[in-house]
This record gives sequence, structure tokens and C-alpha cells, in this order.
Amino acid sequence: MAESSLDVLLKGSSGQRTRGLLRIIIILTIAAAAVASRLFSVIRFESIIHEFDPWFNFRATKYLVENGFYSFWDWFDDRTWHPLGRVTGGTLYPGLMVTSGVIYHILRLLTIPVDIRNICVLLAPGFSGLTALAMYLLTCEMSTSPSAGLLAAAFMGITPGYISRSVAGSYDNEAIAIFLLVFTFYLWIKAVKNGSIMWGALAALFYGYMVSAWGGYVFITNLIPLHVFVLLCMGRYSSRTYIAYTTWYALGTLGSMQIPFVGFLPIRNSDHMAALGVFGLLQLVAFAEFVRGFLPGKQFQKLLTSMVLLTFGLGFAGLVLLTVSGVIAPWSGRFYSLWDTGYAKIHIPIIASVSEHQPTAWPAFFFDLNFLIWLFPAGVFLCFQKLNDEHVFVIIYAVLSSYFAGVMVRLMLTLTPIVCVAAALALSSVLDNFLVMSKPTAETQAKANAKDAKIYGKMKNPVVGIYSYFSKAFVTGSLTLYLLIFVAHCTWVTSNAYSSPSVVLASRLPDGSQMIIDDYREAYYWLRQNTPDNAKIMSWWDYGYQIGGMADRPTLVDNNTWNNTHIATVGKAMSSREEVSYPILRQHDVDYVLVVFGGLLGYSGDDLNKFLWMVRIAEGIWPDEIKERDFFTARGEYRVDEEATPTMKNSLMYKMSYYNYQSLFPAGQAVDRVRGVRLPAEGPQLNTLEEAFTSENWIIRIFKVKDLDNLDRDHSNAVAFEKGIKRKRATKKKGPRVLRTE
Amino acid sequence: MRWCLALLICAFVATVNALSSSGSRLLVVLDETTEKSTYSTLWSDLEARGYDLSFESPKSDKLSLFEHGERAYDHLLILPPKSKGLGPSLTPKHIVDFLNKDGNIVLALSGKSSTSSAVSSLLLEVDIHLANDRSAVVIDHFNYDTISAAEKHDVLLLQRSTPLRPDVKAFFDGEGVLALPRVAPQTLGSDSQLLAPILQAPATAYAYNPKEEIPSPDDIEATGSQLNIVSALQARNSARFTVLGSVEALEDKWFSASVKAPNGKKVPTVNREFARQLTGWTFKETGVVKVGKIEHHLATEGEVAAEDLNPKIYRIKNETVFRIEVSEYSFDKWVPFEVPAEDALQLEFTMLSPFHRLALQPISRTETSTVFGTQFVTPDQHGIFSFRVNYKRPFLTNIEEKHEVTVRHFAHDEYARSWAISGGWVWIAGLWAVIGGFLAFVIVWLYSAPTVNKVKKTQ
Repeated sequence: MAESSLDVLLKGSSGQRTRGLLRIIIILTIAAAAVASRLFSVIRFESIIHEFDPWFNFRATKYLVENGFYSFWDWFDDRTWHPLGRVTGGTLYPGLMVTSGVIYHILRLLTIPVDIRNICVLLAPGFSGLTALAMYLLTCEMSTSPSAGLLAAAFMGITPGYISRSVAGSYDNEAIAIFLLVFTFYLWIKAVKNGSIMWGALAALFYGYMVSAWGGYVFITNLIPLHVFVLLCMGRYSSRTYIAYTTWYALGTLGSMQIPFVGFLPIRNSDHMAALGVFGLLQLVAFAEFVRGFLPGKQFQKLLTSMVLLTFGLGFAGLVLLTVSGVIAPWSGRFYSLWDTGYAKIHIPIIASVSEHQPTAWPAFFFDLNFLIWLFPAGVFLCFQKLNDEHVFVIIYAVLSSYFAGVMVRLMLTLTPIVCVAAALALSSVLDNFLVMSKPTAETQAKANAKDAKIYGKMKNPVVGIYSYFSKAFVTGSLTLYLLIFVAHCTWVTSNAYSSPSVVLASRLPDGSQMIIDDYREAYYWLRQNTPDNAKIMSWWDYGYQIGGMADRPTLVDNNTWNNTHIATVGKAMSSREEVSYPILRQHDVDYVLVVFGGLLGYSGDDLNKFLWMVRIAEGIWPDEIKERDFFTARGEYRVDEEATPTMKNSLMYKMSYYNYQSLFPAGQAVDRVRGVRLPAEGPQLNTLEEAFTSENWIIRIFKVKDLDNLDRDHSNAVAFEKGIKRKRATKKKGPRVLRTE
Repeated sequence: MRWCLALLICAFVATVNALSSSGSRLLVVLDETTEKSTYSTLWSDLEARGYDLSFESPKSDKLSLFEHGERAYDHLLILPPKSKGLGPSLTPKHIVDFLNKDGNIVLALSGKSSTSSAVSSLLLEVDIHLANDRSAVVIDHFNYDTISAAEKHDVLLLQRSTPLRPDVKAFFDGEGVLALPRVAPQTLGSDSQLLAPILQAPATAYAYNPKEEIPSPDDIEATGSQLNIVSALQARNSARFTVLGSVEALEDKWFSASVKAPNGKKVPTVNREFARQLTGWTFKETGVVKVGKIEHHLATEGEVAAEDLNPKIYRIKNETVFRIEVSEYSFDKWVPFEVPAEDALQLEFTMLSPFHRLALQPISRTETSTVFGTQFVTPDQHGIFSFRVNYKRPFLTNIEEKHEVTVRHFAHDEYARSWAISGGWVWIAGLWAVIGGFLAFVIVWLYSAPTVNKVKKTQ
């Protein structure tokens, strides 16, 4: 009975419907799982914005919600980059903020009052559910197997490579950009397959959305032309390709130019030239195809070669000329650093100083992708077996993004989707072969032989398959095990590595209970409540967005590193003697200086460990005044203890970090727990700054910049006077006396 | 709230009644009260000008410059003590704190006895240096009083000085001869901007300790006009600190004495008048400048609405108006401030460095103040700018005004439209040519083909 009732459900047309329903339920479950696994941080900590960049996005979103779209568009932010300010409306990708703003207003329209912060916190998990859906659609285009799409969606939902950038609170551009990336590719594949203007236009629309959301849109801008170019080279030109590409390029470029930050880049920047070149090439090829219909073969051959050579030569010369004359911007520094991993370190220290721009370590691939990473090549291999247009796309994507992911940690994110696709293709073909195929009975075999005689006629062994229960059970069993381990791994990585807000730190006490270290917020709220509304805070640029977001005070530099000189100025102030720094602080109206010091707690991400980057960036602008070598001992060591160089000991950063630190310890016992060294018995002297605030665990220290001395003395003399040290009369100088003139 | 306001008004009225612009509580530090009678004319003069004088001995237990952390007196007059120092409640630190809290001080020195080391180290803090052995006096063989110092030549006869610079107002000039007996000379640090000499020694003067041998030329620190008889420091908060080299010049005896230069006539001294000028300036009866209302706004025709006044944000290339109201205190009332002929009150529009530095012109004048103003176009650079008026002149209190404003970029709808720019016509023409061409092509394409088909079909 049970079998028959199941039969009703599983066979025939109602069976198809049942499967469709099941598929929908599975997809929804996957989406729910994707959302749920990203909520660790909310449950562990609270609904809080994470890290650095999200704080800016959050602040911008609040501005958008409060002031409306047009004033957001024209936003001049006078609370960052003091005193330069930032034309924020024209220098950001507004997609993310506008998306949350629209969601906010829709919810308000439905009379659901939701705090904008909660929308921002939960946007990334929400979109990851959509990404799983888009992944299903994309993979279904690649394979006829029904399981491939579902597997890919499941992989995409929980793989740590994507979770790392989309946990709740990680309110960054990538949160929506990965969904848009995958969905744009799906629409592109649809367009190429169908040769349809509608799909091409949809692809362009979502490409435009992608451009508004993330600088990584350049990846699409180059991948799609490359796909078309490879298809042309393979001799697979078709009107479908032509329609899809020209539609996408024309509409997509126009769309992307509507974003003020992008503006005329698509026709002026070298990064976008490939798309333009392929557009031109496609016109020529189409024209050649058209001409071919009218000309005899031989003449056509001649015409074709001469035309190709001519256009290529002309185009290349034109490109070089325009680049040299400066009409087309040369490749950007970030682009060069993609090809030469050492480039940034030498030429643009500011890019190299960001940890996510470092080359990827090998274990990271396994850590982020687990068993997908070894299924990935198999999936790519399977694509070679069929090799339709869309499979070419998968292969190109796989090759390119593997390279990029190896060069830069952060590009692991673009690798993840294609790994999920390829792995799902591989796994589904294994599962189809081992799980689905039932052992043919004698009659079915005979039937099959008879039926397929025409097709398999030339084959000696007509029915191919694995029918042994043992091998089936073994392979499916081990695959199930792998899948289970994958799920366990993903959950473990998500909960342990990617769910820390980094604004709030958690540590374990010896008895195993959790201790929350909340120094950042403590300090930022201190600033918010104890300083005037427009007190300028100087800190290293890492903390700029957080100060702007949490303390709501103007900063000198922040994570939008558009002005290297301004950052170098801060670096110079931090790495120079007080006498040099003080005029810089005065000139920039600095009221407070904020440093991060991990010496007491053993927090390794502190400013002294980043200090060499400040020195390097400052040295790039003032090579005569700041020298990295001076911060190393004669033996080339970076030390902060008794042996530290005088330059190091006199630098403002060193003084601020260790000011009064020895008072926590018995005399001569002061220890820096990050660098594991004993500090000099006598702590540094600060003359031009005074300590204003130090957080509970000494992670954040805030210093107030003193005003000029009322009696025009040196600050060192004034401090000595306050301490009651008698000043000696200036000893007689040699040479003629300087007379006072009025 | 209301009684607060009333108190404020009362305080205001009180300060208006007093002569000084910054309070009337004057503490005189005297060694012994018996000494008090020597200067009785000075005390009566000061009291006549509205000061409440208190006299304390430096050794007194009651002497304290501060009460509950606030100043107990507005002004301080220190006469040189006979004993070694100024005592525990007048250490250099107390005096510097008093200055930092806007108190004004006259410190008188005397060449009769050597100056204490506490005073010397206090003066060192403000970059005023005394002679090495702290007991030298100024001697001049050409400008001395032949009546009282025929032998020693240590009573100087001087004209009051005219301003050293043309852009400085004269607060200490006038006719007549000053008699300055036994002056302890001071030299000023060569690069201190806050110091200014009120009275310099003549070029023929030198410092000499009569009890010692004449020093070798290498040990001589300064001579002639490098020696100061009266010097002044005006701190950054405009607190004033005056050092008078000769306390005897304030005595009744010298207020009414007659003196005779080596080849001159016998004339009465003008010490009394000079003492008035000196204490008047130090205790802020003169040379006090006050900034009233500051207004800036966009240049418009007619009146500016209150909500358009002092906006926080401007746009680049805005025509902007700046107004500042300045008054000056003259002995007992506020009068319109006038900039000396060779000087100018300037406005800077600054971001890191000045983009504009403009002379402010007097525009209108009220009973108590002059309104200076100027009009300019904000620079083509967005950022956080500030209007700055930084007017610091010797003997005048400092004007340091800084008002931050944001200068933003053009908003998306503030640019000129494309058709308004003649250079854009080419592109507009091109645009419409393409659109027109495409439409023409479509029309031709749609209506040219079928006729051929019809012919074929009929066949």
C-alpha cells in the first residue's frame, strides 16, 4: 500500500509536481540554513556592526535614511579627512546603502517599525539566502542532473569562504555583491544560451546593480568579454553570442556610468578596455560573417586576414597612444599588484599594509572550502567533457579566479562561487552514477539492448553502469561522510573564526567561562560623551570608520584610503619626535590622539605592531625625515625594550603606548605581553600631550593635545617647571650674542 | 534661570563701574606695613581709580592668591621684599598659575638690594633675564640726575619712549622727564614674541655692580638699549605681567621731585603720570580689545534673515560676507577700535594654509564699537575652512577668532545645464544626429522592403 501511494506521488505528472515541490522545499531549507548559520555572532554577542568598513556603510545608511536620497547623493562629509573633507556621495558605491534604505522604507510602509541597524546587521545573511537560490539557477544551467543545482546551492549556503564576508553584522559591499555576481552570471549564461535580448538586458541590469554595489564589478567586466573572446577563438561565433554580448555591453556600460564614482571610467580606464575591445572585435566578426555570404572563399580568406591584421594593429596603436597621452588611465596600482605580489610592497605600501591584500596561504583554501577544493578540479574536468558555451565560461572563471585567489586573500570570495558550481557538478555526476542507477534486470537489459540497438549498435557492451551494491554503498557512504564532515567543518569554522565582531573581543578565562573585552566601545563612548562635538581625533587610519561611526567625532584619516599624503602625514606625526609632531598636530587642529596598545592584554593587533607601516608610508613621502632603518637596532631587530633605538624611543607612538605603563608594575618589572619583552625601568616622558583616557584593559589610550604654553615656553620646560625642576640659566653660547630687535 | 541672569547683569554692572576692564581687586605685596607710607600717593591714586587695595606681607599666613581654586584677586602688585624670597605662598608656580588664570601682575625690582633667586627663576620662565649677580644697577654718565646722584650717576633721567614700531599704539608716551633711581636692568630673550620693552635704557647706559670690580668685556651681557628698565609680558590669554626695574620711582619722594640733567634745566618729574600709565595698562585699563558680534553669510541684496546668518556650510565659489565688531577699552569705557594707520586687521580664510588673506575695512561704527568687514568668493576647493582673525600686537590684548565652516562641492543639480555651455553644443548636435539618423533608418527600413515582396507575390 505504502509503495503504491508513493508511486502516485513519485511517478507520472504528479510525480514531477511532487519533485518540484520537494525541490522548492529543499531550496528554502538551504536558504534558511544559510541564514541561520550566519547568526552565531548575533547570538554570541549582540546585534552589532562588525569590523571597520561596515561602520562607514552603517553611518552612510543612517545618513541616507535620515536625509533622503538626493542629499545622500550630494553628501559632503566634513567629519572625515579633516580638514579636507570627503565628497562621500560621489566616492562610494551606493548600492548597499540604497538597498537597505529601500528595505527600511518598504518595512515602514508595511507599518513594521524596524531599527535601521537591524536591517544592516541582517542584510548579509538575508542576501546569502538569495545567493543560494541564484547558485541553484546558475548550476542548473550547467548540468542536466537535478541534484547538481541543489548541491551547489547547499555548498554556497554554508561554505566558509563566503560566510567569512557575510555573517550577520558584516555589513559590507560584498554582502550583496556576491549575490549579484552569481545572478549576473546566471543571466549572462541564459542570454548566451538563448541569444535573447531580454536575458541580455536583464544581465546588464543586474550588472548595473553590481557596479553600484562593489568595486569588484571589474571582475565581471573582464570575465564576460573573455568568455566571448574565447568562444570566438574556438570558432564558436553565433548570432546568439552577438546578441547577448552587444546587448549586455551597451546597456551595462551605460548603466555603470550612472554611478558617480564610476563615471567615465568604462571608456577611459584600462581595466575596462577589454570589454570595449571585444565589443569592437565582435562587430568585425559579425561583419565578416555577413560578408562571407557574398564572397567566394579565397577572396574572403584574404580579406579576413588583412582586416584582422589591420584592425588589430590600428586598435593596439590607438590604445598605446591614448594610454601614453593620458586619455586612458594607466593600470591602477591594485591591478599591478595582482600580477606581481611584490609590487605593492615596494611601490604602494598603503595597499600592502592591508592584511586582506596579502597573498593567500595554502591552508586557507582548505580552511575556507574544505572538500570542495579537491572536487573542484574534477568538476572543471567534467566541463571539458561536454564543453558547451556555458562550460567554457565555467572553465575560464575557474582558471582566472584560482589565480586571483592565490594572489590576494580577499579574492577567495570570487573563487568560492565557481568552486561550488564545479564541486556540485562533480559530486552530482558521482551520485548519479552510484546512487540512482538501479541494477538492470535481465528483461530490462534485453529491452534496452533491443531498444537501444540502433544507438549503441556499435558498442560491444551496451549497458554501462555500476551495479554492485557494495561499491554503491561504499562510495555513497563515504561521500555522505564527506558531506557530513563538510557541514561540521563549516559550522565549526563559522562559529570559531568568522563570527567575531572584532569590535568586541571574547576570550576564555582559565575556568572556561567567557570574558568579553569591550575596550573599543568603552573608549569610543568616552569620546562621544566627554569631548566637544567637533573635537578632531587623530588615529591610524584603521580606526577612522569606527571613530566616525561609534564616537561620532571627526577624524583625520580613515579606511577610505584615498589620500596617501594625508595618511603619510599622520604616519609622520606618529613616528617623529614630539617637537616635530606637535606643529603637525596643531596645523591639523587635532584635539585628541588615539592609540591602540595591546601590551597589557597580549592583544597583537595593536598600533606598535602596525607601526612599521606608518613609518614606511611616511617614508614614502618624506624620505629625508623618516627612515625605516632608524627604527631597527644595529642588528636589524625591531625592539621596544631597553635596546630600542633612540628614534624608536622618541617617537610619539612609542611614548604614547608606554606612557605611565610601568606604574602598573613593581619597579623595573614592566612587561609588554605582546612582544614579550621587559621594558625600561623609566617610562617615556610626554610633554606636548596629556593622557586623557585609558580603557579598562589599556587597549585604547587617548591623549589630549596641549594648547600652546601660555607663557610661550617649550612644553618640555613648562612640564619641568610644573614638576618643580629649577631651570638653569642658559649656559653661555659661543659666538656673538644674539641681540633682540623690536 | 532668572536670578542667574540677574546675577550676571549685576556682575556686568560691577565691572562697568570699576575702572579696569577685568576687575578691581588689587593685592599689594609689601614687606612691612611701615613701608606703605612711602608710596601713599600711589595708593591714593589707585584707589581714586576704583581699585580695592589689600595689603599683605609676603610672610603673612593669610596671603593666598587663590580661594577655592579661583583667583582671590584680579591684580597683583609686588614690591621687592627685604628678605630673601617671596615666601611660600608666592612661589614662581603660584605666580605663573595666577597669570594662567588671567591675573595681571606688576613686579617691581630694586637695584638697592640683590633680587631673590625665586624672582629670578620666575623671570627666567618668561624669558626675562637679570644681570648675572642680580644686584647690578644701570648707570649712565650722560643722562643722570645731577641733584641726587652727582657722584654715583645711578638716577637715570629719561624721556618716555615713543612706540618702537609704527603699527603699535602709544600707551606710554608724553612730555616730561622720568627719574628712575637705581634700576635693576633686565634683558629680554631674543626670540620671545610675548615680551615687549616699555622703557629701554639709553644707548650710553650700562649695568654695573658698584660693590664689585668692573667685569671683563666677555662677561658683560648687555649694554645700551638692550637693557630694559621696564618690560612687559602679555601672555597668550592676554594676562599682563610688567617688570619695573626701579621701585623707588614709585615713591612719593620721586613723584614730586625736581631733577636736573647734566646740561639741562631743573624740571619736575612725570613719574606719577608714568605710574598711572603703567598700572593702567597692566591692570587692563588701556590696550584692551574686545570682539563683539561676528557675522558671516552669503552676499545677498538687502537684509539677511536670521536663519541665513552664520551658516555652517558654504559651497565653493560662493560670494561671502564677513563682519566683525571690535571695541577698545579706554580707562573707563568701551570706544570704537581704530586700527593704526600703518596696520590692518586681517581676515584669513584657512584650510591648512590661508586661501584668502584680506584686510578688513571699517564699515560702520556704533557708540562703542567699529564693525569691520569684507566680501570675498570662497575658493574653488572643498574642505573644512575657518574664518580666522588673528590680531596680535604688542600692548594690545590678543584677538584670536576661529570659526569653522564647511565648504562643499557643487551638488548634482547646481552645475550649468548642458545647453548653457557653448562647448557642449557639438556633442548635443551629435547626439540628436544619431537619434535622428537611427529613426530615419528605421523608417526607411520599415517602409522600403514590402513593395518588392508584393511584386513577387503577384507573380
